[in-house]
Amino acid sequence: MVPREAIEVLLSKAKTVRDLHLVRKKREKECVFSPPPPPSTTAVAAAAKPPILLTQRHLNTIGEGMSRSLEISSFKRKRPEADPLGLIDAERAILNAIKSKKDLGIWVRDIKQETKLTDHVVNKSLKSLLTRKLIKEVVNIQNKGKKHYMSVEFEPSKEVSGGVWYVDGNLDKELVNVLKQLCLRCIRVQKVATLERVHEDLKKQHVVNFEISILQVFEILNSMVLDNEIIEVKSTGLGEYYSIPIGTVCYRFDSGPGVARGLKVGAFASIPCGACPRISLCTPDGIISPSTCVYYTKWLNIDF
Amino acid sequence: MVSQYGIKLAAYLISSSYGDFCSKVCECLLSRGTLTLAQIIRFTELSRENVINCLRVLIHQNCVQAFSIQQEVAFGEAPKIVTQYMALFDNTIHKMRFPKFMQIVSEELGKDCLGIFEGLLQHGRLSLNQIIDRNMQTPDNSDVHAVRESFSRLLNARFVERCPAPEPFLAPPEEETPAKKRGRWTSLDLWDLIGLAPILHIAEAPKTIEQRALATASPMESIRFLMEIDTLRGTSEEKGMESHDIATLEEKWKQDFSDAELSSSGKKKEILWRVNFEEFVRRLRHKACIEYVRIRLSDQAGIVLSAILELTRSSETRLKTDKSASMSINDIYDEVIKKDGGLGMDLERVRASLVQLGCQIPTTGIDETYSIDLKNIIELAQNEEVESVVLKRYGREAYRIFRLLSKSGRLLETDKISDTTFVEKKDTLKILYKLWKDGYLHMEKVSVNGPKQTLFLLWEVDKESLWVRVLDEMYHAALNLRLRITYEQDQEKEILQLPTEKLVGELEKRYKRLRKVRIILESSLMNLDDALMLFHDF
Repeated sequence: MVPREAIEVLLSKAKTVRDLHLVRKKREKECVFSPPPPPSTTAVAAAAKPPILLTQRHLNTIGEGMSRSLEISSFKRKRPEADPLGLIDAERAILNAIKSKKDLGIWVRDIKQETKLTDHVVNKSLKSLLTRKLIKEVVNIQNKGKKHYMSVEFEPSKEVSGGVWYVDGNLDKELVNVLKQLCLRCIRVQKVATLERVHEDLKKQHVVNFEISILQVFEILNSMVLDNEIIEVKSTGLGEYYSIPIGTVCYRFDSGPGVARGLKVGAFASIPCGACPRISLCTPDGIISPSTCVYYTKWLNIDF
Repeated sequence: MVSQYGIKLAAYLISSSYGDFCSKVCECLLSRGTLTLAQIIRFTELSRENVINCLRVLIHQNCVQAFSIQQEVAFGEAPKIVTQYMALFDNTIHKMRFPKFMQIVSEELGKDCLGIFEGLLQHGRLSLNQIIDRNMQTPDNSDVHAVRESFSRLLNARFVERCPAPEPFLAPPEEETPAKKRGRWTSLDLWDLIGLAPILHIAEAPKTIEQRALATASPMESIRFLMEIDTLRGTSEEKGMESHDIATLEEKWKQDFSDAELSSSGKKKEILWRVNFEEFVRRLRHKACIEYVRIRLSDQAGIVLSAILELTRSSETRLKTDKSASMSINDIYDEVIKKDGGLGMDLERVRASLVQLGCQIPTTGIDETYSIDLKNIIELAQNEEVESVVLKRYGREAYRIFRLLSKSGRLLETDKISDTTFVEKKDTLKILYKLWKDGYLHMEKVSVNGPKQTLFLLWEVDKESLWVRVLDEMYHAALNLRLRITYEQDQEKEILQLPTEKLVGELEKRYKRLRKVRIILESSLMNLDDALMLFHDF
């Protein structure tokens, strides 16, 4: 049963049914943070005689709305002393959702979906939790534009952070380049080096402020092999490989005579057609054709 | 199946040498496959006479092969024999590389053989008498004996071969028995009948009708490079045989064979000879492998490979041999020391080079033989060629990504690619998409059902389809180079017509520019042709 006084307060402020809805909404908001003020005597009196505009049906609707807002406000207003961290229910619900994702983190929209809370409530709660240093914001390498949150006791997983080579969601190119140069120097000195030797060499130099693993060194060497800066070979046990067991994978510079003379460009890539992004549009008599091609003209005008 | 620009390039080469009508006929056969005369006339819309003349030229130039087959008819009707024509794409494209073939002959056999060889390149097919007659007309002609000697050297080196049967008959496949497959007789060429019938002697049975036709037309290996029968007349003349003795011999031939098998004059047809393209392709394949090894590994490795291929060349039965024949270390060493730069190599140095070439030193010294994986060398060269294009067109990061996928040979997920190649994740997807759109990569989508449905994109290099695409682009580029050469010459045609003394000032500048441009374009075309052969012939 809805308190009569409450209805009277509302009615005293409302002029139309629309106003009643607006008032109800406002009351809901106010109820979140503070209990509604007690109705004044005048208001109660005024509320005793409903205006001619309103019908019983409207009153029933108002009553239902009031009871809902009272329920919500009562939920939100649950005493914070019951929570060990002093969190309100919404904050607790959001924190639990975040903690459940552990080191994967959770997107804001997913928080809203899981907790079924409104945008305003979620945003406010997140702000509060951040202030209390219970959660942290992390950059998800897969979706940099979407805000992700994680409980402070977890470190972002590799899927989220991108691994040791990523910082704030971006590839740490400087770190990668420094390590590449160090690896190249090691191989230059040793002529032929195994993965273990390069790893040992890097560890001794203490260039980075973390314990560089052999896997990380392998990743760096592998990327240089893909770039053709070094080649991967297997030890034959002969000559330069005498100290390396036969069959062990090693790394060295490509020492072929053609490599030194810069003969590595393919025949097709040496002509304009090989590099042309428009070759599929080029036809003998078309707008793009060998006789009209500007790349050809430029190439033939170079002093060879 | 020939690719689009392969056909265009072949048509252009025919047009440059033999005119537009021949080019039209050639393009029709390459595009539509094997056709009858009536079909060619219909599709080219040329007159019957023109088509027949073009076919004669193309057959004579070894660009078309004719053959007869039994056509299916309604029950009760007599079987009908029809003649069909097929284009020989490889031989047509070989016209672009005649200078390379000539260089090989010149280096190996000298000027005299080169003269004969040039004649065969120009005319397509010649009999020995025609070769001799042609030589007589040159300013520095040699005597008949010298010409025969030079011709014999070309045959011994397998640079020249007997022409195939002009129109072999293909029996229906179901009628062929194993016995009948051997010792098949053609009824149209006298010399093919003389105990030398073409047989289906290749290791695998040919599958398509075109392959069967080529196999049937080919002379037997035992007579393919044999000059002796053809020398009977010449030898008899040299030996001063009486004319009635020669006539007796001819009478004997007439008795042995039907009139239809003889030429209309009643005399035996002369053997026709042509360039053996297969041998030149083999030589160029070996040369490419040696050059690759020399540049990528070392000069010594190049010398050792050259020695091995020299020793094993004659034993190669197939053109695209995967591995060289096995040779003992001593045989290899004996050949190495004959090569330029090989004299200073000892056995240990040879062994080290063999290891560089991918061989393993046997643990026991009893049977120390080595064989080189040529297929692997060719594949490495092909990979480098394509990687070079990717680097030039799409940049270094794309190059790394492509090499990763090419080396792994399997599907890899986007994140894995990004992590391994140290490319930003957002850039990785863009690069992969660009490569996929241009046909360099194959992509598959995998959906994983879990708490959340996740879509993964997997990528790989499909070498089979990519190699076809790259080859077509190379044909396109080769055609472009040829067209640009023609264009540049057309632009300066008035300068080319001027005498040298008038080429001064601005005209001289233009002339020198034209010369430079031609050198660049023609040398680029020869280099590109090496790459074409790498993907098509090797």
